[in-house]
Amino acid sequence: MFNSSPAARAVAALCFLLTIENAAAAEPLRVGMIPDAGATQVSVEQKAPLQKYLEQQMGMPVKLVIPTSYNATVEGLGNGSLDIAYFGGLTYVKAHERYGAVPLVQRDVDQQFQALFITRKATGIKSLADLKGKTFCFGDINSTSGHLFPYLAMKQAGISVDADLKSTRYTGSHAATAQAVAAGVCDAGSLDETVFKSMVADGKIPGESMRVFFTTPPFADYVWAARKDLSPALQEKFSAALLRLQPGRDDAILEILRGEHYVKADDAEYDDVRKVGKELGLL
Amino acid sequence: MDSLWPLLSAFFPPVLTPSYLRALLPPVVETLGLAAGSMFLAFLISLPLGIAAGLRLPGTRPLLAVLSAVRAIPDLTVAILCVILFGVGPGAGLLALAIYYGAVVAKMFADILRTAPRPPLEALAATGARRLQLALFGLLPLKRADLLTYGAYEFESALRASIVVGAVGGGGLGSELVGSLAALDFPRVTTQLIVLVTVVAVLDQLAVWLRRHPRWLLALAPLGLAALAAYAPRLLAFDHALHVFGEMFPPRLTERDWAALLPRLWETAWMALAGTGGAVLAAALFGALTARNLAPPWLAWPLRRLMEVLRSIPEVVWGLILIAVAGVGPTAGAAALGLHSAGCLARLFAESLENAPRAPQLAIAGTGASAVVVTAWATVPLALGPVAVHSLFRLEWNLRMATVMGLIGAGGIGQALYDAQQLFFYRQMMAYILITWVLVALVDNASEALRRRYKLNQIPA
Repeated sequence: MFNSSPAARAVAALCFLLTIENAAAAEPLRVGMIPDAGATQVSVEQKAPLQKYLEQQMGMPVKLVIPTSYNATVEGLGNGSLDIAYFGGLTYVKAHERYGAVPLVQRDVDQQFQALFITRKATGIKSLADLKGKTFCFGDINSTSGHLFPYLAMKQAGISVDADLKSTRYTGSHAATAQAVAAGVCDAGSLDETVFKSMVADGKIPGESMRVFFTTPPFADYVWAARKDLSPALQEKFSAALLRLQPGRDDAILEILRGEHYVKADDAEYDDVRKVGKELGLL
Repeated sequence: MDSLWPLLSAFFPPVLTPSYLRALLPPVVETLGLAAGSMFLAFLISLPLGIAAGLRLPGTRPLLAVLSAVRAIPDLTVAILCVILFGVGPGAGLLALAIYYGAVVAKMFADILRTAPRPPLEALAATGARRLQLALFGLLPLKRADLLTYGAYEFESALRASIVVGAVGGGGLGSELVGSLAALDFPRVTTQLIVLVTVVAVLDQLAVWLRRHPRWLLALAPLGLAALAAYAPRLLAFDHALHVFGEMFPPRLTERDWAALLPRLWETAWMALAGTGGAVLAAALFGALTARNLAPPWLAWPLRRLMEVLRSIPEVVWGLILIAVAGVGPTAGAAALGLHSAGCLARLFAESLENAPRAPQLAIAGTGASAVVVTAWATVPLALGPVAVHSLFRLEWNLRMATVMGLIGAGGIGQALYDAQQLFFYRQMMAYILITWVLVALVDNASEALRRRYKLNQIPA
């Protein structure tokens, strides 16, 4: 009785599609990347080359997942819905502390990362001290370069985030911070230097009317890490796939990852991040 | 205002390459699967619970209280919890929707079955029928039409909700949207919105059709089952989920949190009041300009389509977009609530104007009054009652929505909840969940009492 109706056919077609999707998802390696515009192209279509590269290198299906928050990425490693994840410094420390995440590889720049303080030239802000009485935008609350180290820099400069700033907001991402500062939503903001530079280069924010008025000392940031129960062979294969990337040969992949060279990562690099995180009550 | 044009132009032209449209197919299928799978589970849970309440078995009262309580946790809050416990992806979204709609549908089934006429049931009981027989041959046949009609109505709501759970990591089109917005990839956002509006429009037609042929709701069962098989959270993770859930107790707030609580609650209330207020004003104008008895068709037709677009984009999606372009904060939240509400209210206001009783209008027209005079002194005053009721219901709904707008960055209590979640301060997060819960339950009860006192009935949209 259901055969002739268009509704029945639509239902059947949908069932079919669901089945296909399910079949294709047979035990792939599930790789999660924090939703960070500076680190990744997020659309399903744009991330396809990276997924293909990993599948070809690992010799198994790979499913790229972009969780909607830092928290979800960490919990994903904990509950086993992710096998490998791309973290910022602070989120890595949390994932390591909560679930024993194993650091694998990172871009060479990640070992000496810096955060920028930006403003519109029109605000007249030229130093951290000028931030008193101004509105300020951090990125994600869990971001190392968008929140943790900028917070520390202000503290060391004698600026109390709670008492001296007029108001603070968490924008959720580096790109959103750049946009908010450029649009005047906040007087100043702090963010990942690679994101700021690429947004200026792409014309997404007007570089000529912006001013970088402080650069933090270097710290360790982004890193790829594995679930602690993931087989060492798979961890090794994944690391090798990224370590093998070469400028010139793998530019399409490197552009997605915004890097040039990959190096081995280790937990001791993050001692500073851990210390600062504890000090500022974020751990 | 002069910054509006560059902002809008950033959204055009949409990306319509075949490869991108194909890439969007899996998320769309996932969203549909989420709705079907969760509603399948919800119906499965609700039917026995509803029947138990309908037969007035012992324990019915506490059961109804529990269902009302679960229903008062906003669906997006349930989704955040499920994402933490079961990981990102459609499994968490499916579970969240199933829990929320399970409670909603069970409460509705219970209400429907409890109003079944008693004499036929008593007659059946007199023949010595057992409880199960009473349910199968008495209750269900008596109320079958109502159950199916309201079931179709809830299915429609679940479809919209399944887009929204993606915003906090529940999979589907919502997750894609969040990703593109985070990357400020506005042309792709436009494409996703076009897809979203189209999907909602098609499904609205399907839902209307289903309400007329409710039996076909059953044909969705295999789809639901398939989705369940594809997306159900893995059993392995339950152990982890229990452990993390344990970390959320006992709930607690720091002194600093307590000090900030009242301003945060006010921010939430302000969002709802400002959003609803703005929407009522806009809807008064657009309702009149789209009412068939007041506006010429060449004006009403395009404006009606515009209102349809406004309301087919859920509040949370408006919120995500406005926050991405205009920055975080309660203003974006209020505007998001306002845009969606304006679309909904304009239609309801137009219907109220169209349904104003004819006789008084004809009486005034009969005195030789002009059309403007008839409108001002008969049509509008006659429609004011329903307009007020619709506005009040919208305010109630928006108070509830305002608590979740914070989860996407719009400030208020939801923002505090979200920040605590992000920092893994789960005991604080649980405290905010409980506060939100109590608040929404209070608003629900107040509105229910008001409704009973003034005998207002919700006029179905």
